[in-house]
Amino acid sequence: MYIIGENIHIIAEKVKEALTNRDREFFMDLAVKQVEAGAKAVDINLGPRKKDFAEVWPWIIETIETVVDVPLSIDTTNVEGMEAALKSIKKAQPILNSTSAEPERLEKVPALAKKYGAKVIALTLKPEGIPIEADARVTIAVETLIPRMMEIDFPMKDLIIDPLVLTVSGCQQYCPHLIETVRTLQYAWDPAPMISVGLSNVSNAVPNENRPLINRVYLAMLMGVGLQMMIANPFDKEQNDVIRWIETKDTGTPLAKAYNKIAERIAASEEPQPEDFNMADPEQAAVWKTTQILLNKVIYADGYLNQ
Amino acid sequence: MPIEIPKDKWPGSIRKVTLGATAAEGGTRAKTVTVGGQATMPYLHFEAPTPNQPVVAIEIKSRKPEDWSPLLAEVWGEAMADPAKWAKAAEAAGADLIVLALTLADTPDDAVKAVKSVLGATGLPVIVWGPGQAEKDNELLVPVAEAAKGEKLVLGLCEDKNYRTIVATAMANGHLIQCRTPMDVNLAKQLNILITDMGLPADRILMDPTTGALGYGIEYGYSVMERLRLAALQGDSMTQMPLIVTPGFEAWKAKESKVGEGVPAAWGNWKERAVHWETLTAAALMESGADILILRHPESVKRIKAAISELVTA
Repeated sequence: MYIIGENIHIIAEKVKEALTNRDREFFMDLAVKQVEAGAKAVDINLGPRKKDFAEVWPWIIETIETVVDVPLSIDTTNVEGMEAALKSIKKAQPILNSTSAEPERLEKVPALAKKYGAKVIALTLKPEGIPIEADARVTIAVETLIPRMMEIDFPMKDLIIDPLVLTVSGCQQYCPHLIETVRTLQYAWDPAPMISVGLSNVSNAVPNENRPLINRVYLAMLMGVGLQMMIANPFDKEQNDVIRWIETKDTGTPLAKAYNKIAERIAASEEPQPEDFNMADPEQAAVWKTTQILLNKVIYADGYLNQ
Repeated sequence: MPIEIPKDKWPGSIRKVTLGATAAEGGTRAKTVTVGGQATMPYLHFEAPTPNQPVVAIEIKSRKPEDWSPLLAEVWGEAMADPAKWAKAAEAAGADLIVLALTLADTPDDAVKAVKSVLGATGLPVIVWGPGQAEKDNELLVPVAEAAKGEKLVLGLCEDKNYRTIVATAMANGHLIQCRTPMDVNLAKQLNILITDMGLPADRILMDPTTGALGYGIEYGYSVMERLRLAALQGDSMTQMPLIVTPGFEAWKAKESKVGEGVPAAWGNWKERAVHWETLTAAALMESGADILILRHPESVKRIKAAISELVTA
């Protein structure tokens, strides 16, 4: 699993504060720790930075490239900010995060990525919103995103499609569709485009104590349909266990076996079954209940584990 | 050529909930009313019978409401000033249940008195609503629940910000509760989980998913109801509560029912329109699975009861 570490994000109070203070040590430390924890790239989201992008981006890129060699993911909606960042990159091939299928963004962002030799993440998002159905999202990729890349002669190996994870709390019906989108997108082009998701979006608006479990179970399902890249928290040890169990087919513990079974079932276009889990074990029972909300079989409620 | 109609068989069903208690059951009601029990989507009789048909409640208030439509004042007349008389009139108009809405002006003594007078005037099961402000609801509903212990009243409204006190007093005094959430399946289910976690048996909960009137968001309301009902039939026990809805309250807020002057002539006769608005709102909700419909105008009650009997015998 290629993890793009998500922890340098302006939404975190500490990141916000460190940025205000231009605290180099903080950012260097957070970048190094993510890479040590297994991140293969580091995402940088500092918000739109409409006023100070020309100063902030070169500063943060220089700071982080002082200590790590991995690709940096430039996560902003500000196209001028993107360019300021791209100009400053000295080490690995960066990732532009992101464009969508909205005409204005699709006009500018891929061209910028091409100019600076960056990879680009493209969201299956149109001006009218995100479609629910898997087919409609694949259609956006095939009929809008990929043709635009070909039009500007963008190297297809540098295109990463993000089919957009939405939260189980409020957009529950989207969750199974995203799984099918990831499955189908791999057949959308030859060679298959890279696919990446923002995993933790699946548990937005969920109480904090339940978020990691929902993220992990969804991850097992997405690995079942072949997901190999995601923006996620590399420090989540239990998530990293799930990745290792599924990647190495490690069924040494009952829980590892249960997670492998989820991935296998989803890979075979089957649904996880109660007999796949030892319901006497509360941990496995919780995993089972989580599969049911993520597949939209049981209506999500904050207290779904207590039902 | 014979055509075989495909039939769904669902693993789950709606819980049966009984409102009111007769003397033999520790109350004073002349009869009880049971709702729920459905094992399929509404009125698909070829799949499963409708074990308990929807019922109609009429909403009355502990004090004469000043903000109700003159059309309602005209039809209920002086009975509106006396909850006992109003309850009797409502029963005569065909109500299966009485909803007594308390007001902010009521003291706990007033509330108990109003509930007792209604219980004395009618043999129908009774639903009692607080005035809708958390503290005041608790202040009035607790003494009411104690004074009517064993009657199997329905106490409402429980909402996510204020349910503990009402649930506790319902548990202590053998009543039911009506829990309301704002048109959201996730929140509806969550509140049921929280309330059953407190120890109230699930068959003492009526679920109010909130609805809008015809032309004012009713489609959001009935979509939520349909989704809850489908989940219930699929076996989700925390969505299997019968549905209680308030088409009367919603429809009489709409301009089309409320306003008789200064509207286009094409809108036609005011009274006809107002009753149509309430009836059509209620009918749409009934067809999406409502078990208890709370109405205000006796003519709407008559029409909805006729629609129910046609639907269940169809």
